[in-house]
Amino acid sequence: MSGHHISTDKTLLSVAAALLALTILTVGVTYIHIPAPWNIITAMGIAVVKAGLVALFFMNLYWDERFNSMLLIAGLAFFGLLVALTLLDTLFRAEVIPAF
Amino acid sequence: MADHSSSTTHSRFFQHHFVDADQQFETAKMGMWIFLVTEILMFGGLFAAYIVFRLWYPDLFTQASTQLNTFWGGVNTVVLIGSSLTVAMAIKSAQLNQKKNIAINLGITLALAAVFMVIKYFEWTHKFELGIFPGQFYDFGGIEHEKANVFFSLYYLMTGLHGIHVLIGMGLMGWLLWRSLKNHFDSEYYTPIEITGLYWHLVDIIWIFLFPLFYLIE
Repeated sequence: MSGHHISTDKTLLSVAAALLALTILTVGVTYIHIPAPWNIITAMGIAVVKAGLVALFFMNLYWDERFNSMLLIAGLAFFGLLVALTLLDTLFRAEVIPAF
Repeated sequence: MADHSSSTTHSRFFQHHFVDADQQFETAKMGMWIFLVTEILMFGGLFAAYIVFRLWYPDLFTQASTQLNTFWGGVNTVVLIGSSLTVAMAIKSAQLNQKKNIAINLGITLALAAVFMVIKYFEWTHKFELGIFPGQFYDFGGIEHEKANVFFSLYYLMTGLHGIHVLIGMGLMGWLLWRSLKNHFDSEYYTPIEITGLYWHLVDIIWIFLFPLFYLIE
């Protein structure tokens, strides 16, 4: 049964250790001052990897029904659509209106 | 999919309208994933607002971020990662019928969530003392940007909505702990721990993004 995968302590602790290491890395790279926009891309890249580890191995998507992964991906796709359509407006205004 | 020869249909928590316990488990889990999609889209509105304002006022975010304490933000990141680990351990303990370990892991999770909220409390109250309030109530002279209140409105909204989710999570963990002490969970039935775990991991993932977006701006 795909829903009853039992994770070993080794897997769970390895994932937690990787998340800890990536947290230290994402704080650490702020001290070497990567020029923009690469600093934001680096920080978000590390965050995406961390989120992926949590989703795959703590939320069990790696072993789960693919349908649940599809739900997550659909949610993220609609978030992308929200951001993209919003930016088509806000990035192309002559001035920032309303002014807040 | 559902194994119709399952012998796990005798659990006291088995509901008769399901084919078997596995189908009941998979159904609950799918329902939770659909709820998590709505959660992503609720937070998504705030993330979209963040993106819009950061692109409008990039200097504001660089300046205002200096008011946030990276150390305590980092500690809270580690605390939430630890609590995600203990939730996963609680589920594994249930699957292996280690009933005492279910309660221990849920208890640690609850304690770590409380640590997170205590740190958040001190972060917020420190800002209130400085006059850093959201929106029109903003009354702090330390940032040379006329839109400084916008950054902190986003900060309070996003960490606040996240904090509410942590508080709800604590309530759920307490409920699970109580039920685990009443011996409700074993390898045949641990659905509430599984789906509360999914919720808790999503709360962790949201924080994984909030931490670099607010605390780690150079």
